[in-house]
Amino acid sequence: MKSPQLQEMVRKIFSDEEIKSQFITSPESVLSRYSLTDDEKKAVRITHTRLGLASSGSVQLEAAVKSLLWWD
Amino acid sequence: MLLQELNKFLQDEIETLLAPVADTAGLSNLVKEALQKNRPDPGVSTVAVRCWPLLPLIVCDTICGRYEQALPAAAGLEMLKAAAEVFDDIEDADNAESLAAKYGFPLAVNTASALLIGAERAFARLYTRGVDSKIIVSLMDKVNSYYLAACGGQHLDLSLIPAEAASEEMYLRVTGMKSAFAAECACYTGAALAGAEVELVQSMAEFGHNLGMAAQIANDIKGITGLRDIRQRKITLPVTYALAQTNGEIHRLLETTFLKTDIKVTSPPGLISDTLFDCGGILYASFKMEVYKQRALDILNALELKDIQVKPLRDFVA
Repeated sequence: MKSPQLQEMVRKIFSDEEIKSQFITSPESVLSRYSLTDDEKKAVRITHTRLGLASSGSVQLEAAVKSLLWWD
Repeated sequence: MLLQELNKFLQDEIETLLAPVADTAGLSNLVKEALQKNRPDPGVSTVAVRCWPLLPLIVCDTICGRYEQALPAAAGLEMLKAAAEVFDDIEDADNAESLAAKYGFPLAVNTASALLIGAERAFARLYTRGVDSKIIVSLMDKVNSYYLAACGGQHLDLSLIPAEAASEEMYLRVTGMKSAFAAECACYTGAALAGAEVELVQSMAEFGHNLGMAAQIANDIKGITGLRDIRQRKITLPVTYALAQTNGEIHRLLETTFLKTDIKVTSPPGLISDTLFDCGGILYASFKMEVYKQRALDILNALELKDIQVKPLRDFVA
């Protein structure tokens, strides 16, 4: 399942500093501008709380990934 | 149900299956090495809790309170997956620790063949656990369908030119066929051997599919942060996002790295990793990983409402 609206939202967050700030402080204000599915909205909210912008070197990102790496 | 106990029973089942090669120490050791590569150490760390070969047993136990009838199938699936990994290493020729790299192609191919035949034996041995022959035949057909589809995914992975592989649609298709299928097949198998109704078997298979997709995307993110996939110029989800959503200098850098594989890359892998973070590729992949995780959890929540105790399966989703 492709996620064009989710892609567009992420592109905007990383190409517009004002939108990025809004997303950091109030993700709902950015989320509401895009037609995301319920699954996507839930995932964005959870990820925002746990990982923020998933920056390089993030310990939380590493932990989130590690928790699913049992398969390989 | 103690997980270490399950591990022990599964190991015993595999030993039984491999009895015909026990006297050929060389082959027996290679088969064990192939199986071991595919399996976290059951004795340590939290990984043991989610030791994947136990998935069919845990699903079966979750549904009917018993797992013994699923032991041969769990052993068979473990052997099939190990065989697939050996073949994958031969085809990709990118793993210095693979059996093919360490012992040569002929011995690696023979080991994978032994694993495939051992897996067939495993499913045939379901009758020793009292499983009805019709269920055995139907299950073997389904498992073979999953693995044939995986061969299709591998074919696409090996034959697509980078430009064709660089779309999210293709990425999700190939990932579903050659990665997520294994968890889906494991859950399907456990549910079918528990005697579950079709609807419940389907729910468990969907749970496995979503779990497998989330795990593959986690692996993709690790491949970028650890630079492994950048060095191999592998097109994964963060890359498909970045190629679609960037332009100018950044796009050219990514295009050279991942699409123009005939050109030698001079940019340091760390720079490419930073670029994938800075354009949102990693955040996008994190969102998608969470979408699949939540779908898996939603399925478990729905099953819990039907009084199915899903706690051991929740541990797989972390």
